[in-house]
Amino acid sequence: MAATESERRRPNPRWDQMRRTWYFFRRNTLAMIGLAILIFFVIVALYAPFYPAPGTNLQEYTSSNGSPPGSVTSPFPVICTYQSGELPPAPNCYQTPTGMPSVVPPTVNLKTGTLGPLPFGSLTLTPSGTQLFNTYAGLVKGSDWSLSISVGIVGTGAIIGVVLGVVSGYFGGVVDEAIMRLTDIFLSIPGLLLVIIFLSVFAVNVLSIDLRVAIIVSAFIVIWWPTYARIVRGQVLVTREQRYVEAARASGATSGRIVRKHIIPNSVYPVFVQMSLDVGTIPLAIAAIVFIGFHVFPVNTFPEWGTMTALSVSSTVLQTFIQACQTSAATCVIPWWQFFFPGAALFMFAISVNFFADGLRDALDPRLRR
Amino acid sequence: MRLWIYIVRRLLLVVPVIIGVMTITFLLVSSLPVSERLEAALGTNPKVPYTPQVPCSKLGINQPGECRNPFYYNGLAKLGLNQAPPVQWAIYMANSLTGHWGYVGNGSGLSGQIPIARGQPVITVLGWFLPYTLELAAFALAIIMAVSIPLGNLSAVYRNRPIDQASRVVSFSGFALPPFLLGSFVLFAVVLLVGGHSGISPTCSKVESYFDFYGSWPQIQCFQGGLYPVWLKSGQISSPTGFPTVDAAIHGQWFLSLDTIIRMVLPALVIAYGTIAVLLRFVRNSMLEVLNLDFVRTARAKGVPERTVVKRHAGRNSLNVTITVVGLTFASFIGGFAVIETVFGLNGVGRLFAYAVTLTPVDFGVVFGSTILFTIIVVTANLIVDVLYAVLDPRVRLG
Repeated sequence: MAATESERRRPNPRWDQMRRTWYFFRRNTLAMIGLAILIFFVIVALYAPFYPAPGTNLQEYTSSNGSPPGSVTSPFPVICTYQSGELPPAPNCYQTPTGMPSVVPPTVNLKTGTLGPLPFGSLTLTPSGTQLFNTYAGLVKGSDWSLSISVGIVGTGAIIGVVLGVVSGYFGGVVDEAIMRLTDIFLSIPGLLLVIIFLSVFAVNVLSIDLRVAIIVSAFIVIWWPTYARIVRGQVLVTREQRYVEAARASGATSGRIVRKHIIPNSVYPVFVQMSLDVGTIPLAIAAIVFIGFHVFPVNTFPEWGTMTALSVSSTVLQTFIQACQTSAATCVIPWWQFFFPGAALFMFAISVNFFADGLRDALDPRLRR
Repeated sequence: MRLWIYIVRRLLLVVPVIIGVMTITFLLVSSLPVSERLEAALGTNPKVPYTPQVPCSKLGINQPGECRNPFYYNGLAKLGLNQAPPVQWAIYMANSLTGHWGYVGNGSGLSGQIPIARGQPVITVLGWFLPYTLELAAFALAIIMAVSIPLGNLSAVYRNRPIDQASRVVSFSGFALPPFLLGSFVLFAVVLLVGGHSGISPTCSKVESYFDFYGSWPQIQCFQGGLYPVWLKSGQISSPTGFPTVDAAIHGQWFLSLDTIIRMVLPALVIAYGTIAVLLRFVRNSMLEVLNLDFVRTARAKGVPERTVVKRHAGRNSLNVTITVVGLTFASFIGGFAVIETVFGLNGVGRLFAYAVTLTPVDFGVVFGSTILFTIIVVTANLIVDVLYAVLDPRVRLG
């Protein structure tokens, strides 16, 4: 009697398994680093809606800091002068080389140790440099969008994939064959191209930002589910033949109950791994789309990491700087911050997610655990 | 099962995929306005736009007001647009399967960039650009496999040691870097490093080092008389193979052949760096699994040196699994060609696609044509990989 009592009080075995997974996960240094960076990004994203930027426009930003709003428009004048090697006298004091597209370098007041109004510098939005953009404010504001779009796409794709994969794997037959041929088709088209075509067919003449976002998100979902369907189907085919499923069936459980209680819980772990891998690639894919020439999101009002990165190295911008460097050494100032900060955000996000996913896979799969 | 039966069965599986992909493109095409569908399929009419009614003067009829546009209605009849959707689908399929992929637009955009493409059938233009993409893909794939297979094995053998961590950090960082960012950065760095004329292209006037690394071929000034060789200018029409390096060699222009290869090095390295992580992960995992199997333990137990166990016993067996993944890798990186070819200014199908899709109005003939072409490349790659796998591993044929 006492035994059954303690049996009843034993925590859910799934908790046990989670604790074991966490134990193996914790021992993987890279995975823990990835997790730490991810948590940092999530905190930034949660903070983003409350970020007190008075608009992400550089112009508004400087005017709120006391300098005249017109002072940063092109042609970019030297707001205050100082000798090279000296510290800037004021945090909002910029110097731009003549003959260059106007760019504002990152400002750090080394005397007080505080960040200036543009700690990450500016992002040039037009080749002539008439529109500048506060990189730091954009990155903070954009974390919100980048993370939620990625998670939304991957989450929805995974739900569709899991449902179709379970149906296909559990019931088999004609349904299975049909769904698998469908995944074959989608996996044969390079995904990025399909998304671009979706945009070119449906979004070119759409002006509403919300609608554009909806179109790009649905296009990504369309290309994203087949991978999950494949993975889940493979898992279900194995799980279906297990003894406990047989036992459940023998004891009269309905198909719905077996699927819900036994099949799905025991075959979704690889999907979690694949999901965490994919989350990082979505901002990269958006960046590639923008780079090719689809300005899906207007950066001024809708900062998004991929868009910011793509705009920072658009071919016109790059060629301008290369030409400036080839003309003379004096004009050769590389605005490294333009590429560096948005690129670093994308990079850190993608790589941390990758480390996290790899650690998860190693911890979940006993064959890889050793 | 005999090998040829397996191959036939595998070939039959390709049919629904091709039909399915064309159906998807058909669905997308059907959601376009009629005038754009006509333009993509039949080519731009220089004089008369595709509208039901046009001013009579445009048709050469001396009469005020609007007239019935024969080009529009003939086009409708030709594509079956005046019939039920299933008929439209059947006509679209028939056209697509016989290589009637429409015409390059006459508009300023694409024809401005590539004048010889003006008004040509899409499939012809794609044929000019395809060999370059294939060369680049083969080059990149060779680098990927040469790096990721040994590195993956090493990573598995020294699991969670510094060498494993380092190889994973390096390969993942390639995966996490946006390829256009890396590409632009590499181009920028190399140009700044070289400074002046790098000496790769033949000495010709006013060629900056930027153009030594940008573009598939040397600048026009580098050729005799400032003109491309005829076979290059006319889109390799007179070229025997279509592959730029091979053709240049056949025409005896060794410098051009060499130059083309050198220009491929940077883009191929960038593509490879971005894709190595994908393959490396599979190699590492399959190697880890194989290393735990009984026959490896047996080999170790009977005193086979560790080096031989890893190389002969485990390595060979994990390679089988790796081969199947190469096809998938191919699908994942070929989509990125649009970006890489744009960054480096290479005349491949990807750049053609990127051109066509950013025009206003979009050149849908080229867009859909290149998508179908990319799909065919991926399907063919997967087919080759599967057949190769069946040849190497008899168990596959049995299953």
